Amino acid sequence: MDALFLLLPISLLFVLGIGVAFWWAIFAGQFDDTRDAAAAILDDDDQTHPGAT
Amino acid sequence: MTDAMRRTRRHMLARTGLAWLVMMQVMMLAFPGYLRHGARAPEAQQSLEQAIVLMNWLSLILCVPLILYCAWPVWRGAWRALSQRCIGMDVPVALGILAAFVPSVVATWRDAGEVYFDSVSMFVAFLLTARFLETCARQAVNGQPHESWDAVLLHSADRLAFWFVCVQILLAIMVGLYWWAVQPGQAVAVTVALLVMSCPCAMSMSVPSALAARHAVRLRAGAAGPGGSASLDKATRRIARQNLYGSLAWHLLMAPLAAIGWVQPWVAALTMLFSSLAVAANAWRLTRRAGDGVASGRGAAQPA
Repeated sequence: MDALFLLLPISLLFVLGIGVAFWWAIFAGQFDDTRDAAAAILDDDDQTHPGAT
Repeated sequence: MTDAMRRTRRHMLARTGLAWLVMMQVMMLAFPGYLRHGARAPEAQQSLEQAIVLMNWLSLILCVPLILYCAWPVWRGAWRALSQRCIGMDVPVALGILAAFVPSVVATWRDAGEVYFDSVSMFVAFLLTARFLETCARQAVNGQPHESWDAVLLHSADRLAFWFVCVQILLAIMVGLYWWAVQPGQAVAVTVALLVMSCPCAMSMSVPSALAARHAVRLRAGAAGPGGSASLDKATRRIARQNLYGSLAWHLLMAPLAAIGWVQPWVAALTMLFSSLAVAANAWRLTRRAGDGVASGRGAAQPA
């Protein structure tokens, strides 16, 4: 039971860390266009470069 | 989408997401409080009471950023409405949050009485979810040509919501005073439930969500042209009316149940989320129906 009094404040610190990470992720633009990253691989440069073959 | 709209949406998303995070933590921390009145050995009861005190303090710490950051649009809107001497939709919301939060802080400080941190955090999280959906709907129709009946519908929805809010606040105050005289222990819970119920989130979403759904249908129809536009307008109007009067009827149904003390504050918050989601789903029905219509029209056109 005594462990609870240590673990609860630690969980509070974790929650604060998760909240800060989530806030950073939103304002870094990670949720603006969720399809963008999946489509990016289709838009890359497919031309073979000279000397590569 | 302009930069300002994108910034607004990011802020709304941050506030909503953080409110949900806090809500889930606070609900877990509130659970031992529900077990307080069971039968158990004296030493077990004593350690449970100690754990409840710690958990109440942690809930308080988690709720402070919720009140200050996540609920900031509510305070700003309520202050603006009051400084213009009118009653907007934010006023009952602000009253509901304060009526639940302040007694909980006092109870935590004095270590006596009930706390309502779970109701506060649920209310803020569900409210912000409804607001986020409403912001998305309004941004989708922003810059679209408004037709005359759009403005009429929006205006009638605003006026209906205004009178609804006035009546609900008066009702909450009167019922709260009655319960205070008869049974003071229940007064805070009943008043908070009524104030939570008086939040017209679903009503404020009703018309914008229908207009946004119509906009989506028009985008999808695209080159199909204005054919069938009259029936689409008719369907939009019908769905907007359904949303508006349906949410009003839902509020009128739930308010007496809250007044006689059958609805706990957290149940009131859940019903509020339910009505908002029902309004959004009803508006989405319009896009699906019209999408089917367009698809079958194309299918019929293919063989020819």
